[in-house]
Amino acid sequence: MKKKVLSVLLVGAMTASMFAGCGNDGDKAAGADGANGGDAAPVTEESGDAADAEAAGNPVTLKTVSMFGGTDPNAEVYAAINDEFMAENSHVTIEDNSQTSDEEWKAAVNADFSVGNEPDVIQFFTDATADTIIATDKLVSVEEIRAEYPDYAKDTLDSALAAAANTDGVQRAVPTTGYWEGLFCNKDLFDQYDLELPTDWASLEKAITTFKENDIIPIACSLNNVPHYWIEFLMLYAAGPEEYTTVPETAPEGWIKGLEMFKTLRDMGAFPADTDTVDDAYVGQLFRDKKAAMQLDGSWYAGNIEDTENTVVIPFPGVPDQKAEAGSLVGGISSGFYITRKAWEDPDKRDAAVKFVMAHTSQEGVQRYWETTGAVSQAAVAVTPVDGATPFAQSIAEYTSNASVIVAPTDSRIGDAYKTLVAQIVKVSTGATTAEDAINEALGVMQ
Amino acid sequence: MLYKKKWPLFLFLVPGLLFLLVFLYIPFVENIKNSFYEMASVVKMPGQEFEFIGIDNYKRLFTDPDIRVAMANTLKMMVLTVIFEVGIAFVLAVMVSQIKKLQQLFRTVYFFPVVISATAIGLLFKLFYNYNGGMLNQILEALGKEPVLWLGPELAFAMICVPTLWSYIGFYFVILLTGLSDIPDDIYEAASIDGCSKFKQVFYITLPSLKPVFFTSVTLAVTGALKVFDLPWVLAPNGAPQGLTHFLGTYMYQTAYGLNNYDYASTQALLIVVLGVVVSKGVGMLTADKDEKVAAKAKRARAKGVA
Repeated sequence: MKKKVLSVLLVGAMTASMFAGCGNDGDKAAGADGANGGDAAPVTEESGDAADAEAAGNPVTLKTVSMFGGTDPNAEVYAAINDEFMAENSHVTIEDNSQTSDEEWKAAVNADFSVGNEPDVIQFFTDATADTIIATDKLVSVEEIRAEYPDYAKDTLDSALAAAANTDGVQRAVPTTGYWEGLFCNKDLFDQYDLELPTDWASLEKAITTFKENDIIPIACSLNNVPHYWIEFLMLYAAGPEEYTTVPETAPEGWIKGLEMFKTLRDMGAFPADTDTVDDAYVGQLFRDKKAAMQLDGSWYAGNIEDTENTVVIPFPGVPDQKAEAGSLVGGISSGFYITRKAWEDPDKRDAAVKFVMAHTSQEGVQRYWETTGAVSQAAVAVTPVDGATPFAQSIAEYTSNASVIVAPTDSRIGDAYKTLVAQIVKVSTGATTAEDAINEALGVMQ
Repeated sequence: MLYKKKWPLFLFLVPGLLFLLVFLYIPFVENIKNSFYEMASVVKMPGQEFEFIGIDNYKRLFTDPDIRVAMANTLKMMVLTVIFEVGIAFVLAVMVSQIKKLQQLFRTVYFFPVVISATAIGLLFKLFYNYNGGMLNQILEALGKEPVLWLGPELAFAMICVPTLWSYIGFYFVILLTGLSDIPDDIYEAASIDGCSKFKQVFYITLPSLKPVFFTSVTLAVTGALKVFDLPWVLAPNGAPQGLTHFLGTYMYQTAYGLNNYDYASTQALLIVVLGVVVSKGVGMLTADKDEKVAAKAKRARAKGVA
């Protein structure tokens, strides 16, 4: 009898707890609906915070995603602007999921868009990388937003907005800063071995030989991890801007000639002995520790340079019989803030999303991004110059302002096929695969 | 009978079945389907259609030089796991079982690497192997010798095998040690009285008595070799150097997430599953045969004894 009573009590307790659980969920659901601007009645709790939120507008939770996470030099400013934005807009809560961009992250973003789990605002690529999410038609154009909010992206330069247009020509993203790629040099090492900074292939060859003889790694590069910058400059200088910017069906002569230089450089001992196994972070450390003399990298790497007195950025020296003009530069604007249709069609989120993007892309916001990366990137707004620039920053200003030609990198044109090309570079450098086969394999993927 | 009514059992079994169905079997069937299509993205975007390419990916399996390297390395790893993981674990287990003092300490010490994540072990060995300032090269330099490219094409596979094999010895050590503790002491005592040396006892008592546990360990080791991924990936990503250290797992991952070739990666995933089933079945059959033979022999011996 006791057992039966106990059983009945236990069953009763379980049932009650289930109903209690359901009851709570119901409350939460109602709150969430309210937050999303649904038909549910607004939350009527009389707490001070809630009353403030009511005054400011319906509580809004803005889901945001950006590449300004992890070790990205912009991460700090991004987080600070988010905090200030939430302080100024007390009804808005930002649920941010930022991280540095890599292939897994890009695949996750694509997957989120395909299953309807896209964020409200995303800072993402504007080139061919974005084609997959553009195809979902879930991103709102700048023109459509400006019809409702004429001041949207008012500080952004027209040229920057145009540069951030997607591959279909539609402007959806509002950029903050652009990028450049160039040759970082430890000038003190060049001085120590009585070498001039390289300005052409002959002087580069001389520098490589001298450093090699003195047990200094001439070029810090991980061929197995990030040979991207070398691919770009070798192909640009060997092919010339015209051929370099084509999207060919079979390997062009200039591209082949450019990639064949990997073997020449490897045979000269230009790369670290363990270039096939180490990663980009490691070779970057070799350069900063003065164990390597040169490193080809992008503006995002500038924030890592501590010795701003003895490090300089110079134009790519060139290749034998080059077709590109000296001072040709790989760079552009490749990312920006997008508002998704999900947020745009939600009356509460629309306003918050627009304000959020403007907080990051206004003159004030961009100035902070620009300064935090050493005032070395290409700003999308008219920035105020920084006083007392270091020799490092001066060299970058000189490099970028004297660029004869500025072209976007190959991956912005051939998309995923570029990864196949990157995967073949180690084999191209050892001679296990020919440059022509590697390029044709990559172009084959695209077709 | 413990339970007269069976239906409540099904009630508890169904959620687990549903979970496996949703997260394992349906994706597995989907994976097979994907291997016959040209997938432009990892998931189908609205309005997007994947092109049917038939058995193109399966044909590519036979012509792809990288998959040959990955397959060869995986098969080599299977053999090495049996020899080094189970073999060394057996030797250690026999020795530890012979001592009474400090047995618990040795158990803990040998098992410890199993609880460390493969990623941490990978990073640790990466620091050992570094060409510039790695621990091994620092020792060599202190001895006045030239630094060695530990992850160069000649040594890389061996250098990856060392931590991979080492980190799992403790797992088989514990399994075998548990098996050893089940062998009655009086058999060893009787053998000692008959003048059997400790060394011979291992061959004539320990090994035959340990066969079922031994075969279980071999099955686990061989199928485990098929799943090798994290440690090689941390130590030498993308099959570095020059794709020579790819295993089936690492090559599949690179194909899927490095090259975004999801359909070919699906084909490789199917190959791994098929290989896993075939290998585990093969080892299972081998084990069953041996057991049956032993049982039959024992039966015959007993029959003779009675007669």
